[in-house]
Amino acid sequence: MNLALLCPEFSALFVLLVLMTGEMFNKDFSHKRAAPTAIAGAGFVLLTLCFRFNAHGESFSGSFRADVFSQSMKIFFAAAVIPVIQMTRVFFKDRLKHPGEFVLVLWSALIGMFFLASANDLLLLFISLEIVTLSFYIMASFMKKELYSIEAGLKYLIFGSLASAFFIYGISLIYAAAGTTLFEGVRQFASANPGNQLVLLGLVLMISGVGFKIALVPFHLWVPDVYEGAPTPGVAFLSVGSKAAGFVIALKLLFVVFVFFESGREALFSVLAALTMLYGSLGALVQKNIKRLFGYSSISHAGYLAIGLATGEITGVTAVLFYLIAYGLSSLAAFLVICIAGRALESDRIESYRGLAVRSPFLGGVLFIALLSLAGMPPLAGFFGKLLILLGAVQGGYLWLALLGAALVAVSLYYYLSIVKIMIAEEPLNTSPIHAELSSKIILAALAGGIIVMGFWQAPFYTFAENAARSFF
Amino acid sequence: MIVALPWISLLGAFVMLFIPKTNLSAQKWLTLSCCGISAFIILFLTLQFDTSKTGYQFLHRYDWLPSLGISYQVGLDGINLTMCLLHALVSFSGAFIATSGGERRKEYLFFYLILTGALYGVFTVLDIFFLYFFYETTLIPMFPLIAIWGGKNKGYAAIKLAVFTGAGAILALVGLLALYHYAGAQSFDLIRITEALKARPLPLSIQAWIVPLLLAGFGALSSFWPLHSWSPIAYGAAPTSAAMLHAGVKVGPYLILRLVIPFFPEGIREWSLWLAGIACAGILYAGYVAIRQRDLKLIIGFSIVSHMGYVLLGLAGLNAVTLSGAVLLLFSHGVATACAFGLIGHLSDQTGTNEAEDYGGLSARAPFWSVAFIMVSMASLSLPGFSNFASELLIFIGAWNQFPLAVGLAVFGVLITAVYILRMVQKVCYGPVNQKWPELRDLRTFYEKLPFILLLTALLLFGFWPQGLLQYIQPAAGGLLS
Repeated sequence: MNLALLCPEFSALFVLLVLMTGEMFNKDFSHKRAAPTAIAGAGFVLLTLCFRFNAHGESFSGSFRADVFSQSMKIFFAAAVIPVIQMTRVFFKDRLKHPGEFVLVLWSALIGMFFLASANDLLLLFISLEIVTLSFYIMASFMKKELYSIEAGLKYLIFGSLASAFFIYGISLIYAAAGTTLFEGVRQFASANPGNQLVLLGLVLMISGVGFKIALVPFHLWVPDVYEGAPTPGVAFLSVGSKAAGFVIALKLLFVVFVFFESGREALFSVLAALTMLYGSLGALVQKNIKRLFGYSSISHAGYLAIGLATGEITGVTAVLFYLIAYGLSSLAAFLVICIAGRALESDRIESYRGLAVRSPFLGGVLFIALLSLAGMPPLAGFFGKLLILLGAVQGGYLWLALLGAALVAVSLYYYLSIVKIMIAEEPLNTSPIHAELSSKIILAALAGGIIVMGFWQAPFYTFAENAARSFF
Repeated sequence: MIVALPWISLLGAFVMLFIPKTNLSAQKWLTLSCCGISAFIILFLTLQFDTSKTGYQFLHRYDWLPSLGISYQVGLDGINLTMCLLHALVSFSGAFIATSGGERRKEYLFFYLILTGALYGVFTVLDIFFLYFFYETTLIPMFPLIAIWGGKNKGYAAIKLAVFTGAGAILALVGLLALYHYAGAQSFDLIRITEALKARPLPLSIQAWIVPLLLAGFGALSSFWPLHSWSPIAYGAAPTSAAMLHAGVKVGPYLILRLVIPFFPEGIREWSLWLAGIACAGILYAGYVAIRQRDLKLIIGFSIVSHMGYVLLGLAGLNAVTLSGAVLLLFSHGVATACAFGLIGHLSDQTGTNEAEDYGGLSARAPFWSVAFIMVSMASLSLPGFSNFASELLIFIGAWNQFPLAVGLAVFGVLITAVYILRMVQKVCYGPVNQKWPELRDLRTFYEKLPFILLLTALLLFGFWPQGLLQYIQPAAGGLLS
């Protein structure tokens, strides 16, 4: 057993312990120090990951595996958590007695994602997924005095537990057939018996569970309400971290374990992708609440990502990973602005964003960049992500999917630009300037800079994604 | 030097962010110098350009993302040299108008510089990825330019422009990706794809469906009928210098020349009859609609759609003569349109109205303005002596053998143009002086007059000496077909 492989996980656990101890023994910690400590902790974990990036191997008799892909995803999760922590700072300020508790729950979700990225066994996969999902149940209903938050939590709980039940039932069926839960063992059994009905049924059940996490269309019903009601930091991590976690599971299931399912995967995910893109884009057109709109838009982004799953090959997986990074940067920037503006405007209605660019040119500028990047406009990160996805679809022969995706980009342009229009061109109701803290400004500037750099100079990010994708082939 | 062209203005836009809001003169000089330096570089390159050689000159190539075959490659041939000259002229003249005042000036100039830089990018790069990249980047500044500083209906106009051109762009992207895939060169490099396709042309069955995708995509941006409906509204609402740049410097037809005609020769030939028909329909329809308009900017807006019909007819002709005519028309029409928008903008910035009825007798009131306006109108009418005449003549002569009926209808379109242009001139410049605007000023200072002097000089110069441009265009246009 090679415990040194778990270095990043141990360092994350260590940060969790520090946070917990601080929370227990220091009165001011929750308000003042929890968030800075967690940000510093994320930096520490990132540093560990950088040093241990090339430490590859398996541990716990093969159920834990560290490779380029898992380490890359851990870097993604740990980096994504930093703006979310900043959001908790802004969002819960003067609202809660112990905002530090939210950071604790957030951090436990992060640890779940770490194990998920390294899981090489169906059971470990399920357990780490449950750590993530349980943390999100708590985060969604964290504002326990607000009706919408409770509704969000309850909805997420009901749908989520159903999905978990599907997932674990699928695992049990596969165990019944293959007699093992290790990826390697299941893969050998499934490839040798591609027609085994228990395996197929189990696989379909597991895909449904994953579909819930990434909000693919028949499993998407929870999304708009949860996005509208849950506290914004939770929503942000849900839309970036949890979606990425879902794609990690999907990639592992489709490209490591059930490799035999190739033709089924292509047919299934191309149809799901088309439905998801259509539903998300059309649903977003009529929204009045900005968080709800992001719910629908996150559904439509899941559709684009699913195109990458359908096309497969190294190009498809690279496109998925690149798109996730671009989507993560843009979403986090947008949600941080929504957090700050939401506190100042005391509303999440799109209408209340009138004249935001005049009241705070900085926030308006960052939201402008983030929205255009989500819409897939060059020279921003989202553009190259969409390009890679469409290129994969064209190369894989899914021309209809590429055309549908392209047409829906135009639709998404409409709803993103409607927000931009309200923000930059309409007269503000109230002209008092909106201030953001320096720490928020630094993080926003870094995110916006990242979006632009990634749009212009794609090579390092592309290589990063391609190297990670190579772990599957 | 050619590598630096787009980056001068983009860098200028970045610097603009750090200039204080109140420091108007620094903002002005930054904008003027960015546009001016780029224009001088283009002028210098034009003088260096060797007309006896065929192919691209001033080639530079840097690997950008080798695993996908993306490279930053720049170079000029006669066609994009002409487009660069047009853009240099219009953006430099527009800069004078953009810097002359208005609200939230700093942000305006920021977006203006991004637009200028992105357009230079489109006209200098020779890599499909970067062509598309810069082409869609022009959308980003256009949206706020119209949405914030526009006239009536600005929100609607901005969204309509963005959605139409965005949809066109992304459809074209699918076509370009298909081209990349089927060319099999694993490269976005324009020259390599040309070579690969020369060795192994695409089968007609593939060409026949990629061509409409690309034509629809680029056609939406070129405001070809029936994909034009965004353009009169957007140009009617756009602030003066933005309208000059976006309406004058047309990217769509250039991309058709660069990406469709050389790569899909048989595919476009299949569609050429349709294109000629669409071109005629556009010329006549838009001309007829223009007659009914009362708003000066809308008249010019529909006249753009109508003139784009001539360009499309030139593209559909598919021989060296019509293609040269189309490029020359892009140049002359661009200059004339920019000039017209600049002149109308000068009036409406003072009065806040574009209605032709609201003006009258301006020739007595504003003689310099009226002379310029009448000259531009005559250029739009393609009166001999302006370069529009030479270009339309080339298109008609070249297309006569293939589409005699279409040419006949297009010539009739010139008559329609005469109707609305002359009526507009009559209403605005002659008749009784309208007493509504006692304060209305002519173009007085040299700073105000210079942009129009530059634009009109170019129209006249190449009207009397079309060979001055055709010596660059013709070899390149012939090269597209071989």
